[in-house]
Amino acid sequence: MAVEFSKPSFVRTLALILLAIGGLSATDLFLAKTEREANAAEAARYDREGERLMQAGRSSEAADRFQSALSLERDNEDYQLALAQALDGAGRLEDAEKALRALLERNSFSGPANLAMARVLVKQGHIDQAIAYYHRAIYGQWSDGQRSNPVRVRLELADLLSRRNSQEDLLAELLPLQDQAPEDAGTRLKMGKWFLAAGSPNRAASVFRTLLREQPELAEAYAGLGEAEFAQGNYRMARAEFQAALRLKPGDAYLSSRLEVCDLVLRLDPHRNGLSAEEESERSRKLLELAADAVKPCAGSAPEEPIADLLEAAAKQLKKRGSAPDNIELAQRLWQTRKAVCGAAAAGAARPGSDEALELVMGKLSQ
Amino acid sequence: MKLKSASVIERLRKALQLLQQQAYRPLILSLAIGALVGLVTVAFILLTGQLAARMYPAGGSGWRRVLVPTAGSLITGYLLWRFFPFARGSGIPQTKFALFINDGRIAFRTVFGKFFCCSASLASGIALGREGPSVQIGAGLASVVARGAGLGKEDIKALAPVGCSAALAAAFNTPIAGVLFTLEEIMGDLHAPVLGTAVLSSATSWIVLHLVLGDDPLFHVPAYQLVHPAEMMVYAVLGLVGGLGSVAFVKLLLSLRQWFKGFPKGSVWLQPVAGGLTVGLMGLFLPDVMGVGYSFIDKVLNGEVVLRAVVLLAVFKIVATAVAYGSGNAGGIFGPSLFIGATMGAAVGSIAHRFFPAYTAGPGAYALVGMGTAFAGIVRTPLTSVIMIFEMTRDYTIIVPLMISNLIAYLISYGLQRMPIYEALAHQDGVHLPIANTRDEAARMRVSQAMRPVPAVLREEEPDTQEFKRLAALVAESATVPPHVHPDHQLSLALERIGATGLTVLPVISRADTRRLLGIVLLDDVLRAFGVSRPSEARESAGLN
Repeated sequence: MAVEFSKPSFVRTLALILLAIGGLSATDLFLAKTEREANAAEAARYDREGERLMQAGRSSEAADRFQSALSLERDNEDYQLALAQALDGAGRLEDAEKALRALLERNSFSGPANLAMARVLVKQGHIDQAIAYYHRAIYGQWSDGQRSNPVRVRLELADLLSRRNSQEDLLAELLPLQDQAPEDAGTRLKMGKWFLAAGSPNRAASVFRTLLREQPELAEAYAGLGEAEFAQGNYRMARAEFQAALRLKPGDAYLSSRLEVCDLVLRLDPHRNGLSAEEESERSRKLLELAADAVKPCAGSAPEEPIADLLEAAAKQLKKRGSAPDNIELAQRLWQTRKAVCGAAAAGAARPGSDEALELVMGKLSQ
Repeated sequence: MKLKSASVIERLRKALQLLQQQAYRPLILSLAIGALVGLVTVAFILLTGQLAARMYPAGGSGWRRVLVPTAGSLITGYLLWRFFPFARGSGIPQTKFALFINDGRIAFRTVFGKFFCCSASLASGIALGREGPSVQIGAGLASVVARGAGLGKEDIKALAPVGCSAALAAAFNTPIAGVLFTLEEIMGDLHAPVLGTAVLSSATSWIVLHLVLGDDPLFHVPAYQLVHPAEMMVYAVLGLVGGLGSVAFVKLLLSLRQWFKGFPKGSVWLQPVAGGLTVGLMGLFLPDVMGVGYSFIDKVLNGEVVLRAVVLLAVFKIVATAVAYGSGNAGGIFGPSLFIGATMGAAVGSIAHRFFPAYTAGPGAYALVGMGTAFAGIVRTPLTSVIMIFEMTRDYTIIVPLMISNLIAYLISYGLQRMPIYEALAHQDGVHLPIANTRDEAARMRVSQAMRPVPAVLREEEPDTQEFKRLAALVAESATVPPHVHPDHQLSLALERIGATGLTVLPVISRADTRRLLGIVLLDDVLRAFGVSRPSEARESAGLN
């Protein structure tokens, strides 16, 4: 073992060092490669375990596994993302956010990471920030197997916006989805409903009609189309669609109530085409009667001056069987007063079907 | 064609001649040693990791944690006793021994033994570190290379520290701290002339490390943040805890080592088993106490902390390392110092954050500072510890808390355990290494402390009057300034000049006016200042009292 140079020589020593450096470099590279491979295999094992635990709903344990995988392969973005998602699932939102920020710092264009961040921010209630991350996810990078994901992200964003009643933003997301969204009935139904929520009933009607051409027995599509027609003021057509839906889903309480409102609107509208003068007068009287009835619950037993005067005038008008325009004008004033004076009390005393119908008719009359 | 090859050979010959020139040799060897030591250190780290992976396969039985370190310490203990007696322990005192006492000479056999025995020992789970051994391996390789190149004693002594800085740069991934540790601890002199070559080898070694292993840092540390200036108080508390913990660790380690030394000589090969068994039994309940523990430190630094666990681990690691080292296993105390510091820091940080969440950072930040604190307290190299943590985080904001905590830990450690750990270990072996403090004390002694000033009025009856007059005249009238010293000169310089000139007295002259005599310094006064007294005959023969 006593390695000593018999005759010291600078050049020979240098040559030996160079030789040793060459040999050691090869050894080190081999050892490093072996270690990297072993680490990668171990990390993949932890990852598989983590996935299994995630599927079993054990997010907290899954996070531990993903953390272990990540400690072996620091640069693996998949493990980083999986860890963040597990932390999110385990309710550790701050930790998930921190993990995602670290991931996005390295790759700010990552579609999946931006999507995960958006979801975490939604849970934290930071909706505006979340929307920004949804957009980054939509325009971000996705791997070859995830080409359809931007559309899914946009659908998820649309769902969020519909729940938030952001009509303009929602419509902006729905327009590109018209051509991109999957053709399945579920997605089309959602699209139709979101168009309705975005204040675009004609586009919603178009979506539902297309769907009905392919699946004529789909009650939800008839109901959706009914709502779209209803929103456009086409109460007769809406009524027909609700009836069709009810035929397919008999006994559905919601559909029945929508049908009832349609009927009421159609029965109350004094300006409907083709009505005789007598029918118009009768409808105006009914309208006045209903408007007065709607005011009474919030006016109480001793109504204040403007309401009392209007109610008295209405009673007189009904008694003397006044003209249709007078009846309509008084009914409108009563309805306006009810809105102004009764306010929240009116909402509390609202009668679901008739009030909606009255509102719609009054709205149409005031146009 | 023949002409061309002849020209190439001529050029090569000239290059070789250039290489052989004395002036370039240290630089060329520093580069070569840096690369060589870097590669060997990387191989050491990788080999240890691979051995550990085979000794502890995934899903292995818990009993393996008892059996493997016990068997590992038995085998390496025997090999160290039988074949590599100088490869036991950390490697730092052995390196200093070689440097200051053995003319920088470390045998290749020791390097070989240190590499393989330490690798096996650490892989088996012994709770010691890999940096100290790397330093000895690095210094040893530098020593072997220097001897092989036919360098003289002084050159060999100058190259050994170059190997140390290269080894530490690769082992810790901290090139500046590698150089600083070499100067601060190994050389005990921050102005040592090896600075240039140490920097060169450290940088080369660091480059080699990154070429082979990539840019992955030793620890993955989240961005450090100081939440509130009042947090400095907590860092001061951390310094206090770190200092006390460091002293406890050092005293326990030294006592246990002394205790083991009391056993018969024939049992030396068996003693490491006590360390292996202790670590194994602790590892059965707390696996993180085993081995170097850097993966656990990584978790702690990232805030994955359970208070009870870190407190237990700090205590267990102190005991496990002290027993493992004291019983004679091969391995260092750098790694364990960082582990103990990180766990102590995390414990202090957890408690502080629980009570003052708005004013304090998470436990990870305290674990980071705690590492430096324990290092400063145990190894007693405050500058290295600050720079090392700074290099690990690359975050300037950590410097101030780190300095506060380190300084307090250092002062407590210095107050309660005057002799630094490596010197104390050498003392136990009957070796007295030069200590920076004693060197500093000697350096602090100035001529002004020993000189006899010229009195305002010279009286004939005073014994030195004639001497004053003679020297004053000599200084004032000479064309050139005679041999002299200034009051701020080190006293050792006065002694050197007295020796060189053969005089027993030197004039002490003003720096502002070299013709003005301020006093005289006598050989006897110098010797007295150093605590040496001469027999009266000698004084008489010199004609002075």
